[in-house]
Amino acid sequence: MNKTVIDAHNISKVYNRETIPVYAINNVHLHVEKGEFAALVGPSGSGKTTLLNLIGGLDKPDSGEIFINGVDITKLSANRLINFRLQNIGFVFQSFNLIPVLTAKENAEFIMLLQRTGKKDRELRLSQLFRQINLEEKMNVRPAELSGGQQQRVAVARALASKPQFVLADEPTANLDSKSASNLLDLMAKLNSEENITFVFSTHDQRVIERARRVITLVDGRIAADTAPSDTSVAHQYSQ
Amino acid sequence: MLSVAIGLFAGIAVLALYKGMMQSRVRTVIYSEMAHIQIHQKDFKKDYQPSYTLGVGDKMASVIAGMKEVKIIAKRSIAQGMLSTATGSSTIQINGVEPRIEYQVSQLDRKIVKGNGFHQEKRNEILVGKKLADKMKLLIGSKLVLTFTDTAGNIVSAAFRVVGIYQSQNTSLDELNVYVEMKTLNELLLTGTSFHEIAILLTNDNDLLPVQRKLKQLFPGDLVETWREISPETELMVRTVDEYSYIIMIIILFALAFGIINTMLMAILERTREIGMMVALGTTRIKVFTLVLAETIFLTIAGTPVGILAGLFTTAYYHKHGLDLSGMGKEMMASFGFNTIIYPSFPIEKLLAIMLLVTGTAVLSCLFPAFKALRLQPVQALRR
Repeated sequence: MNKTVIDAHNISKVYNRETIPVYAINNVHLHVEKGEFAALVGPSGSGKTTLLNLIGGLDKPDSGEIFINGVDITKLSANRLINFRLQNIGFVFQSFNLIPVLTAKENAEFIMLLQRTGKKDRELRLSQLFRQINLEEKMNVRPAELSGGQQQRVAVARALASKPQFVLADEPTANLDSKSASNLLDLMAKLNSEENITFVFSTHDQRVIERARRVITLVDGRIAADTAPSDTSVAHQYSQ
Repeated sequence: MLSVAIGLFAGIAVLALYKGMMQSRVRTVIYSEMAHIQIHQKDFKKDYQPSYTLGVGDKMASVIAGMKEVKIIAKRSIAQGMLSTATGSSTIQINGVEPRIEYQVSQLDRKIVKGNGFHQEKRNEILVGKKLADKMKLLIGSKLVLTFTDTAGNIVSAAFRVVGIYQSQNTSLDELNVYVEMKTLNELLLTGTSFHEIAILLTNDNDLLPVQRKLKQLFPGDLVETWREISPETELMVRTVDEYSYIIMIIILFALAFGIINTMLMAILERTREIGMMVALGTTRIKVFTLVLAETIFLTIAGTPVGILAGLFTTAYYHKHGLDLSGMGKEMMASFGFNTIIYPSFPIEKLLAIMLLVTGTAVLSCLFPAFKALRLQPVQALRR
């Protein structure tokens, strides 16, 4: 049996509690094991990003518990939560969010500097990561000189640089053309299968959904379906 | 960076301008009006009685002239009186001087704007100030009558001919003071070779107080005053302007602070997503705070040499060539005793204080933007 990395119980997130309450996430249970390649799908406003933010420790639920590697992150103080994110969770954002004044290598190195990784280890890890994302020749180039697909690959390298327990990706292919999206998925799938890195990503893209080994469908803040990709009729219905 | 540079430049320029103005005023007071030190009979200045001459004036003069700190001395006879012409009369102070010496002590000859000054072979010649000449409609060659009391208490009147009109940087003094030859005035006052005042110019300004102390010991019965005591308004003005320069510095620093706050808030606003992403990835709040602080300090460090060099170069240029402020009103400047050409001089000992003030202001100003950055929530920041 694989190790559990994400274990969320009864989590809810409510906006406008005082006026007209909107349940962005409503009593959700989620269990993700090491090595999963899971897609969160659902229509706009279904709560995909909110759920990713909650399990990523970027936001706090109004109720429920979220255990990451056995640690209840809802009980951590702000500073401990930041440190927990640094050591355990990798993020890939829809709009890349690379620091424009840093080179691709420096962007990925940034997180290791926060972890106080030694120079030798950093260099080793960076060359390994850039080889994996196939951007070795672009290491010293600033983000503005990279294509969208290349920038997102650098973002993946940055997410992996800290050796996280899992990577959360919020619509990672939304700003990419189909070829770049396909390349990125190839990369993520390869990292998942060869290095057993856990990926949880939100998406609208049917091609992405088809590559996932698990599809969790959210509707109105609730999990409507949690299926293997061979049975994605619900997911397909809501991804259109 | 620009606001720091401009803040420093403005601070240096303001201090240099004020110091230049005050130095100019003090030099005018010393070298053109009253010299470093004056000695009078102790009661003379109470009511300017002509009989209160310096008892052993010539002896005193030779002793003082022999002192190593003393550059030159001038003897003066003084009478309060009335100047009358066909058009009217005016209250004046009559200064009896030895022209050749007086020309060196108060540069009286350099102030003459009309006429040639005293002629050795002629008597009853008078120099009047331009303001008085304009008021009394006096021209070169005009005749006037001076009336005053002599040492015996008699009213004396004597006719004089205008041989020169002078103009100093202090129009109030120009209206009040006239100059005649000392021997002529002494004859009329019946003081013989006695006189009322010894004006002393020193070689070095810093010897002022030691020399005063020495003279007080040498002549305990007489009144030995420095220019600061004779002209307390100048001393007060120097101090007041010094304080004003700090007030202006504070205003400049306020402007600088708002400039920095604005710059750093803009920087944070523009990089909200970036900061949100950094916090999301694991940058602690204290590191975000330090980042804003460090950025401000780097900008300050980058702006400081630019501001200092620009300020010092500008000051040095105008120190050499003079800054003409006649556009501000020559009459107004002169009525306060200021020259219209100012030679700014930066008090270099204040450079460190200015740098610390500017840096301190920069650091304090970035606190608000830094706290603003601290409060950014990654979820909200990433949505922008």
